[in-house]
Amino acid sequence: MTPGVVALLMLAGLSEALGRATPVAVRRRGVPRSRMLRLVLAGAVVEGTVFALWPLTAWTLAELLLGSPPPGDGVEWTPGLVAPLVLSAVLAFPLLGSLLHLLLFVGVGAGLTGPLSAASGLGWWTAAGCVSVAGVVLGVAVEGVRRLVVRMSAADTAEAP
Amino acid sequence: MNDFLLWAVALGPALLAEGLLARYEVLAYGAGWRAPVTELPEGVPYARGADPDRPPDAYLVYLDGIGKRRVRDSRDGGQLVRAVLAGAPELRVLGQVQPYSPLADPLADRPVWSWLRRRVGLVLFLHNVMQIFVAADRRYRPLYNRAVGSQIATQLRLAGYRPGSGIPVVLLSYSGGAQVATGAVDELCKRLGCPLLLIMFGGFHNGANDLTRADHVHRLTGSGDRIERVGTWMFPQRWPLFRGSGWNRAARGGKVTVHRFDPATHVGPRSYISRSALLPDGRTHLARTADTVVELIRDHCRSDAGEGPRP
Repeated sequence: MTPGVVALLMLAGLSEALGRATPVAVRRRGVPRSRMLRLVLAGAVVEGTVFALWPLTAWTLAELLLGSPPPGDGVEWTPGLVAPLVLSAVLAFPLLGSLLHLLLFVGVGAGLTGPLSAASGLGWWTAAGCVSVAGVVLGVAVEGVRRLVVRMSAADTAEAP
Repeated sequence: MNDFLLWAVALGPALLAEGLLARYEVLAYGAGWRAPVTELPEGVPYARGADPDRPPDAYLVYLDGIGKRRVRDSRDGGQLVRAVLAGAPELRVLGQVQPYSPLADPLADRPVWSWLRRRVGLVLFLHNVMQIFVAADRRYRPLYNRAVGSQIATQLRLAGYRPGSGIPVVLLSYSGGAQVATGAVDELCKRLGCPLLLIMFGGFHNGANDLTRADHVHRLTGSGDRIERVGTWMFPQRWPLFRGSGWNRAARGGKVTVHRFDPATHVGPRSYISRSALLPDGRTHLARTADTVVELIRDHCRSDAGEGPRP
């Protein structure tokens, strides 16, 4: 993974974390800026890591489906594939935004499907299934982390004098 | 293709920055990092119009469109305020409310924005557009409504409004100001216990805010107003299908009266507040809008007074 791709993944993670953290923080009177900053930075790392894991997870699923190592070397993010994710914070508006947010992920997922299909030898639709399942599994996992952080953060705020 | 790239490169990061900056302000308000501004700059009155020594017939708060970026009136909004003041000297009019700032902090007074205004004035409009979407966003809306509602209540008190006096408060809004006006209803009723009349022209709002506590809503609209029409298409709660939305409930309850201002447009030489476009009766669009606003307020005051003495 090139430094440029890593930087873009972190930026996308930051964007997603900002979009997720601000609605929670606005309802918490007295959240210090430093805690908010830590929350967003931790979120950026988690979200960025999840984005990084998406092609790897899809590749692992493809391996499981084939029952033997696929012929290719795997799938990796390219700047062109990951760049749209940087917009996730802006597109996370409800009604208008939830749909755009979903479309963004569907579009990026479709972008990943082609390289996965080519590298693994799977058909396009099967590869798309791997990308979708990987995305959903990672999405559910990160949602669990988010809820845990929100609960812990709420408990901390409640305990604060 | 080059044009597309230029727009993508120039507009993409600007949109991203704006989307985040717009949320930062509501975050700073909600988390209590900054207190809202209450004082006005020297020389700016808290209200104009009727003599402050005796109660006016009504207080009118003008919530401007996205051009609002300073405490003083914008060029177009100022024309309307002056015309209303000239036609109804019995009103006290407030034009200083910042509909697009939960912290009541005028955009033009912020150093970075002043620098930007001289170079890329468009981003100031973009900022206020983003604020409308933040105000419409269900996650930020309650807080945004509370912020601007309390800003209006504070300015009304500073302008001499006595809570519980029963004097009507009129929220006159243009374009995106309608989102803020509909959102401020509950907070104003809670803080001031005032009868509320909403008049919106070219109103751009998502229809989600509850209007139960407003006395009435007058919607002034024109056949040439595409921006208002986009609002009715864009926000599902404006669609008749969503019968439970605040706007649809108000409409079904007979609280919304529509006034056709055909062929007025949203902006430009044929807009609601144009001084050059003439009607068949010889009046300008601006005069028609101002006359209608004054007439609606007077009707409301008369019916309000007819209901019996104020508490």
